[in-house]
Amino acid sequence: MDSATGNGSASFTAPIVPVAAVAPVVPIIGPSQTRDSFNAQTLGRSLNAHVKQSRVLMVGAGGIGCELLKNLVLTGFGEIHIVDLDTIDLSNLNRQFLFRQEHIKKSKALVAKDVAEKFNPAVRIVAHHANIKDSEFSIEWFSSFTIVFNALDNLEARRHVNKMCLAADVPLIESGTTGFNGQVQVIKKGVTACYDCTPKETPKSFPVCTIRSTPSQPIHCIVWGKSYLLNEIFGTSEDESAFDHSADAENAQEIEELRRESEALRKIRQSVGSPDFHQMLFDKVFSTDIVRLRSMEDMWKTRKPPEPLDYKALLEMAADAMAAKDAVVKDDQRVWSLEENLVVLNDSLDRLSKRVLATRDAGNSSSQEAIIVFDKDDDDTLDFVAASANIRSTLFGIDRRSKFDIKQMAGNIIPAIATTNAIVAGLCVLEAFRVLKGEYDKTKEVFLTPFAPARLLASDKCRQPNPDCPVCGVFQTRAYVDLSRATLYDLVEDFLKLQLGYGEKEISVSNEVGILYDPDETDNLGKKLSELGIKPDSFLTITDEDDEDPYVNVVVAIQEVKESLEDKPIKGVSSAVKIPTKPKKTPVPEANGHGSRQQSEAVAEVVPAKRPHPDGPEDAAAAKKAKTAASLVGRDDDDIVVLDDSAGGGAIVIDDD
Amino acid sequence: MTEIVMSQTPPILHGPSEKERKYDRQLRLWAASGQAALESANLLLVNSGAGTVGAETLKNLVLPGIGRFAIYDEARVQEADMGVNFFLDDSCLGQSRSQSLTELITELNPDVQGAWYPNEGVQTLDSLLADSPVFTAILYTHPIRPDQLSQLEAYGQQHKTPLVAIHSAGLYSYFQINLPGAFPIVDTHPDETATTDLRLLNPWPELVAFAEGLTKDIDGLDNFEHGHLPYVVILLHYLEQWKAANDGNYPTTYKEKTDFRKVVQAAARTDIPEGGEENFDEAAAAVLKTLAPPSLPSGLKEVFEYEHSDPVEQRSGFWLIADAVKQFYEKHQCLPLPGKLPDMKAQSKVYIQLQGIYKAKARKDAAEILQIVQAAPGGERVDPAEVDLFCKNAAFVKLINATGGGGGANSSGSNKISRADRLKSAAALEFANDETAALTLAPLSLMPIYLALQATSHAVDEPLAADAILAAVAEQVPGAEQYERVVQAAREVERAAGGELHNVSALTGGMVAQELIKIVTKQYIPIDNTCVYDGIAARCQVLRL
Repeated sequence: MDSATGNGSASFTAPIVPVAAVAPVVPIIGPSQTRDSFNAQTLGRSLNAHVKQSRVLMVGAGGIGCELLKNLVLTGFGEIHIVDLDTIDLSNLNRQFLFRQEHIKKSKALVAKDVAEKFNPAVRIVAHHANIKDSEFSIEWFSSFTIVFNALDNLEARRHVNKMCLAADVPLIESGTTGFNGQVQVIKKGVTACYDCTPKETPKSFPVCTIRSTPSQPIHCIVWGKSYLLNEIFGTSEDESAFDHSADAENAQEIEELRRESEALRKIRQSVGSPDFHQMLFDKVFSTDIVRLRSMEDMWKTRKPPEPLDYKALLEMAADAMAAKDAVVKDDQRVWSLEENLVVLNDSLDRLSKRVLATRDAGNSSSQEAIIVFDKDDDDTLDFVAASANIRSTLFGIDRRSKFDIKQMAGNIIPAIATTNAIVAGLCVLEAFRVLKGEYDKTKEVFLTPFAPARLLASDKCRQPNPDCPVCGVFQTRAYVDLSRATLYDLVEDFLKLQLGYGEKEISVSNEVGILYDPDETDNLGKKLSELGIKPDSFLTITDEDDEDPYVNVVVAIQEVKESLEDKPIKGVSSAVKIPTKPKKTPVPEANGHGSRQQSEAVAEVVPAKRPHPDGPEDAAAAKKAKTAASLVGRDDDDIVVLDDSAGGGAIVIDDD
Repeated sequence: MTEIVMSQTPPILHGPSEKERKYDRQLRLWAASGQAALESANLLLVNSGAGTVGAETLKNLVLPGIGRFAIYDEARVQEADMGVNFFLDDSCLGQSRSQSLTELITELNPDVQGAWYPNEGVQTLDSLLADSPVFTAILYTHPIRPDQLSQLEAYGQQHKTPLVAIHSAGLYSYFQINLPGAFPIVDTHPDETATTDLRLLNPWPELVAFAEGLTKDIDGLDNFEHGHLPYVVILLHYLEQWKAANDGNYPTTYKEKTDFRKVVQAAARTDIPEGGEENFDEAAAAVLKTLAPPSLPSGLKEVFEYEHSDPVEQRSGFWLIADAVKQFYEKHQCLPLPGKLPDMKAQSKVYIQLQGIYKAKARKDAAEILQIVQAAPGGERVDPAEVDLFCKNAAFVKLINATGGGGGANSSGSNKISRADRLKSAAALEFANDETAALTLAPLSLMPIYLALQATSHAVDEPLAADAILAAVAEQVPGAEQYERVVQAAREVERAAGGELHNVSALTGGMVAQELIKIVTKQYIPIDNTCVYDGIAARCQVLRL
């Protein structure tokens, strides 16, 4: 087997040896080969052995995850853990090749394990159908892995894993795809930039008044249908994440009116299932509320006021559309007429009401309120949002959209295909080889550049950590805490001042909720940490308020200790801790990699000498976009707001053609 | 059979079909037209060598729903296959590799039909090619027997079938697309913002009249009307003023355009509560971007200047339309109007009127071109929808492989010689670039990897040692064997000893499938024509060979 060549242990980046020195090669392809031969051949025996002993974690078993799992299994990684909370949906099957029709609605993690482990009996796969943010996945647990792979589709989980890997000091290989674009990044604490070293686009929200009172674009009406109307009638309440409340104070009066409107709408909710329900809802949101809005004359000085609609009159005109109802609902490419939208709205209300009533009947207590939440792949909710958004658009003089387009805008759909995921997953494992060998100077940040005719990939040396990064630009340590008795006083006076050496410095202590302690905020000192909501595996940030030589911010990971710690309720790590001071002058944070010499290759990659249309300023913009789009790459499918991968730049992109 | 069952029990008509839902995430990239093209495609994979990269490529085509495929693979499954090929398991040992692969790969997508060869009925590649319906494209993996490659090349010539060669060994791979002639793409998916064509410097009479109507008493408009003039109308109005003051000339230089922009900015009303006008801001912002005289984009120029050597090709729909657009351009000195109007601040009624004017002009231009097409011999068969698509994308039409198409119908002998020469000159250019790479900071060429892999294209029986690889390179590109990086690549290829690394083959399979989808759907621009991958440096280079 391995003895076939004299170079089994050669590194794949071995320096060149003169040709004459190379031993003659014995042909190796033949029946004597084992399943491991090709890997040993190319990787070299030592790296191959290292791969087999590795214990790796893959977070996410979706588009990239399926491809990655296949590659990990066939590369022979010894033990692979998979964490994914999601279940399989029909729209996954065009790329998530471990899943079939019969797996729909089953756990991605469990099915992926069952399918993949058949292909290499030497590999142990452990599947967790769970949320990676669950407390069972502690820092200790993270630190038990050789490498962590992120194959996620949302910002929040990515940030969490990034933080946990930094705290556990485990290398992380981060990846993402959007349509034809994709990217891979190696994150190693203190050595390369972390996920949060460059600020990420956060989900776009809209001022309440824009959505509720003065929409001017289709997206405003779609957000209204999805985050306001659907939730008020069938959901829990407003989807707050969609709203930006920063301007509320300036519009206090209007906000108050809107609050009253919502209350009235919730009353209509009681009538679900009654024969008048459709008209009550329609009259409320497309007539009464509109008449009220029109009466706000100031609002319409520079805008066209909305036109209320009459239900009965519209219904009469919708007779033809009614007759063709089934065909209309099915036609998601064409923009529906106003009448057709009414027909679809009523039909979706029928379907949603039926579901509510069925749930109510099934539950024995009436307090068990039936809840329906928006799901882009749930046609009942999509039809409701599409039709109500289009009717609202019509009365505000905004263009209507097809259901297909609305699905993309409302569902934050990212195009996703097998090919891009295959490329990105392949790149992840190649970077893993370098990480296993500890060659961080050779790790790359790789971007797919599908529209650059000179090459399909662009690689770049990994960026340095950003010293001002709020996540990795801090000093990290752990505190082992007996949460049954430790107080904030113990933490501040004993652990921070004595053990960590803050001494008489002025410090503040905060967590994600806010400030727990500073020299002027001492009320909490007597409280137990548990009373302050501090949980195992949560993080505290310690800020040095001194002007002279302040320490960098320190992030303390709280590790719960069950057995009693002899004398003290809080103990630090056993080795001596030396907190560095902040650099005298803040260096300019390295941006997305332009300018420095080592990055010249990447820049050259995205500004190729010849592009398809080399004659306009838009060309440079397009090249730049390739880079921007790649760095914003969000993610295989759900829950992210870059709507259109052709648009680079901002988060929600409104395409007004 | 299924169709009969379906017609008896019509599916429930709620929402898009199951199929649309399954393919939803990709329909957003290539639309129903691209999907239909994929579903009617029939691919052949001639799988040889270690055989993983072919299977990985096929997987990525089966998942999005290619119509049908056939695998021709003479190998039997060995132990080593299972370590590297995901689509073979223990039960396949000793079986026909094509049969095992076909069975496991078709499981990925029940919509796809797969067939495997050789089988009892069809025993050789020759007879498969002779007896099968025409293939849409053929993929083959290296190393391949020379006689089989010749058969494929002859088939490609005869049937105008694109051939894709794939070679993956160790940490290196390349793939090469061999198109049967000039390959035009209309639906290139240009950047949204690049497609705006407002014709401000050569407006047509209806647009001029509309703008004049709105601006003849521009200073007398009330604040609402003034603040809602569409920026297109604002620019047309002040361009007329500029012309009158500048001997009938439009602003053309950068300085003139920035001066003109100041004129526009100064015309905004500031004595209003808002302190400025959004529509005038939009107008000023659009000056540099939209004030461009009509020009002929290089991609379309190449189409116009292309010389046909194949009369069959010349009568195809694309070329008939291209010829009509060329006549249109020669007559009007501009391309047909795409007709899209970007969103802008305006009263809805006015915006819709303006949109109508652009759409009407676009329809008129397309109708004129359709008329020219239909007057040409064979033009009556051209689908008007194809004319519309061409008119919308005219500025972005792209011709791939234009030079390679010239000798398409000639003897394969002369074609081969020209390809060999092309490799020599491309190699010379790449090596010359590498000499100056340290100064220009350009990445080093991946030509050495291509040369080393290519030297083992037919090493079917046993892998080659580095010196044999270098000798083969020397035959193709004399002198190349002297370069240190070629020697290094040869040694790395020797070390792989014909073995594939699953991971590199998976990645390469992703890239090949991506390009093949572009070719089958005729959407987006495929690479032209060879992509070399270096897993050591984690990068790619596209070479035209």
